[in-house]
Amino acid sequence: MNLKDRMMRVLVCGALLSPAWTVMGATAPAVAPAKSVPAAAQPAAANASSADTPPPAEAPAPPVPAADAPPAELKTLDQEVQGLKKDVVDLNKDLFVLQEELLFPANTQVALYISMDVGTFFALDSVTVKIDNKEVKNYLYTAREADALLKGGVQQIYLGNLKVGKHELVAFFTGKGSAERDYKRGASINFDKGVGAKYLELKITDRVPKHQPEFLIKDWE
Amino acid sequence: MRRALLIGGLMLSAAISTASHAAGPSILGKDAPDFVLRGLDGRNLRLSEFRGQVVLVNFWTRSDGDSRLQMPALDRINITYQRAGLVVLGVSVDDDLRRSKEFATAMGVSYPILFDTGSQIGKDYFLQKMPMTILVDRAGVVRYSAVGFRRGDERVYLDKIRELLRE
Repeated sequence: MNLKDRMMRVLVCGALLSPAWTVMGATAPAVAPAKSVPAAAQPAAANASSADTPPPAEAPAPPVPAADAPPAELKTLDQEVQGLKKDVVDLNKDLFVLQEELLFPANTQVALYISMDVGTFFALDSVTVKIDNKEVKNYLYTAREADALLKGGVQQIYLGNLKVGKHELVAFFTGKGSAERDYKRGASINFDKGVGAKYLELKITDRVPKHQPEFLIKDWE
Repeated sequence: MRRALLIGGLMLSAAISTASHAAGPSILGKDAPDFVLRGLDGRNLRLSEFRGQVVLVNFWTRSDGDSRLQMPALDRINITYQRAGLVVLGVSVDDDLRRSKEFATAMGVSYPILFDTGSQIGKDYFLQKMPMTILVDRAGVVRYSAVGFRRGDERVYLDKIRELLRE
């Protein structure tokens, strides 16, 4: 067999084998590898191969971002901002507690609260508080504030420091009594300031039998 | 020469005009210091309770002529804009409470007149010359401050008030 016959046989065999390779799913040597295909031609090549070969049975679909969903970067940034805000709030809370502890340590702290019950015979206008004959607070009440007290609110009217020992607290209440008369009354208490914090409450209640308001100072042990 | 003098005079008057509306350096842009004062009608009013509304606070004294001139103008502003969310508060800083009350009653303005008998508010607001007018926005921040009053100044107040009411 001469060279010419050999070449002819190779070509014929190649022509016969080419359809067989296609049927078997093998890539013909003529098809270039994917990497060498230009970018523009890739989808076409992919389509062609997908048409020829079945897609993998359990291939996960790529996540498609929703049209109105914010991009992931923005989402992360927003989360960071929220985290920072929370940190600031926590820090503020801690600072407030520290400030309270420094300014009003428990061993010298005196807290004074005010509450009202019913209030039929008295409309509160102002309260003046004196501790050991020194005015520590003078508070004017607006209609809203007085209303809040009547609804059961308790107001911290004073927070301060006192030495351990005996002290005197005097509170003056002014307002309108029954029949819209100007009314001014005082109440006092002598108390012992111990090593712990001291809590006192000014209470305004109605004394129904006498049709008079009653002003009390309660020492919360 | 005359022209130079004229220009100089105009510049000086402009400078004076600007100075009369100069904002207090330390109160503008800051939270308005809160106060509670007794009014002419016996009610107590607290500034912070008007949060959410635009508040014009006018500090005045009975003896000051500008204050007398200003009060009717503020009354007109109050009548026109109170429905839009404006609150006008007049604060008397007179020492003589009785005479101050008499004066306020005689002026017969429609907005509340409050009486400051202490000195704390004067310190908080850096009161130096009367009358002093400040505008507090809905968030409680001082946005405008003016010292003194001349005819026509109410137009400046109105511009600022409209601006704040629109926010």
